[in-house]
Amino acid sequence: MPASKPSAPALLDAAIDYLERELLPTLGGYHRFQCRVTVNVLAQVRRELVLAPAQADAERARLVSLLGHPGERDELSRELAARIRAGEFALDDPALLEHLRRSLVEALRINNPKWIGAPEDPENF
Amino acid sequence: MTEHDAFQHKLEAAVRRHLGAPGEVRALVRLTGGATKATWSFDAVVGTATLPLILQQTPPERLGSTPGRGAVGLHGAHDAALLEAARAAGVPAPRVRIVLDADDDLGEGTVTERITGETLGRKINTEARFAAARPQLAAQCGSILAAIHRIDPTGLDFLTEQPAPAQLAMYRTLADACDHPLPAVELGLRWVAEHLPKAPRTCVVHGDFRNGNLIVGDDGVRCVLDWELAHRGDPMLDLGWLCVKTWRFGGPLPVGGFGHRDDLFRAYERAGGGSVDPAHVRFWEAFGCIKWALMCMHKGLGDLGAVPGARRNVEAVAIGRRIEEPLLDFLDLITGKGD
Repeated sequence: MPASKPSAPALLDAAIDYLERELLPTLGGYHRFQCRVTVNVLAQVRRELVLAPAQADAERARLVSLLGHPGERDELSRELAARIRAGEFALDDPALLEHLRRSLVEALRINNPKWIGAPEDPENF
Repeated sequence: MTEHDAFQHKLEAAVRRHLGAPGEVRALVRLTGGATKATWSFDAVVGTATLPLILQQTPPERLGSTPGRGAVGLHGAHDAALLEAARAAGVPAPRVRIVLDADDDLGEGTVTERITGETLGRKINTEARFAAARPQLAAQCGSILAAIHRIDPTGLDFLTEQPAPAQLAMYRTLADACDHPLPAVELGLRWVAEHLPKAPRTCVVHGDFRNGNLIVGDDGVRCVLDWELAHRGDPMLDLGWLCVKTWRFGGPLPVGGFGHRDDLFRAYERAGGGSVDPAHVRFWEAFGCIKWALMCMHKGLGDLGAVPGARRNVEAVAIGRRIEEPLLDFLDLITGKGD
């Protein structure tokens, strides 16, 4: 089977469009806020679908370089956390700080692009 | 009877019991509702008067399921005692009208007077009606904080001692309980451990003093809300937390998005709070980023040990995805890129 059509991002676009343009203007108070949050959550999922695969590959490569051995992204990240906690990295280690900064910036491209002044629609970059 | 009607009837019974007849409740509106605490606005008819009131409650079904409450947070009776002590020290804090008890069957919480004004940080920082007040807010926060740090702790024995090392231990425990180790969080906790400052003194600390927990009118700060993280500790915690970038709500200035650090510090000193070391405040701002990151993680992952299949509030899970914001702000702060 090929991937289902319409694609997952296209489904989310339609859902977001309905919530934002049709439902939201009819709501007030508590439900208006919750609906606004729901739109944001769906937009995060949409950006994650588009951006996460390439980000995970790049992050894994950086972790392999920092830790000096191969592995899966999540296991490597857990190991890095444990080694930082154990004091095996200096707090001002430039390679470590660069890796943390890039990982945070990439996650923010998904979770809150405005925080880093990036466009909210990942197709635009 | 709808859920809302049943709730209104319970609230009317509580108003009659605590404040008097007829106890009619009007204009009951839910303002916020999260995974733990809900806030409601209503008017109560008592005698011939109509009282504008706010109910903050942790519903009965949520009691005991919330890490932080009980162990860290304050319950209704303590909250009331603290707010009275704060008012006695000259802090604009809400007057408590009802402390909920078991007979009310509304969970745990308080009913306070409702003060008119805005709490949403983004509106305070952008709307024209606050344009005249905005330049005054940082200095007002400074004098209010000096008053908070003067609160007489007599009778407030429920406030726990949380000097910086104790705060670090609390958030270390929270991080471990979440069992989602992140390299940036580990770096942050180590940085905090290696930069613990010596507190100038120990006093009553608000613990969550920030834009978003203040009622602001066109004349400035009218009321300080959300005292449940209050404790005895390092007063500089409150000044640093107010500067954490998250609480600037997109505003351009470091204090709450609305003001300058100098205005905050000078007003605090003028009001008798003692001299302010900016580097000491900066430590608490950086630690504040790590604390907020862990709060996001904890909220997003949900109540630890929650019933499988329990409903998850969308606002709470969404907060889990805000964790990178303060972690990046923290890196900026410790590498000299932040403002």
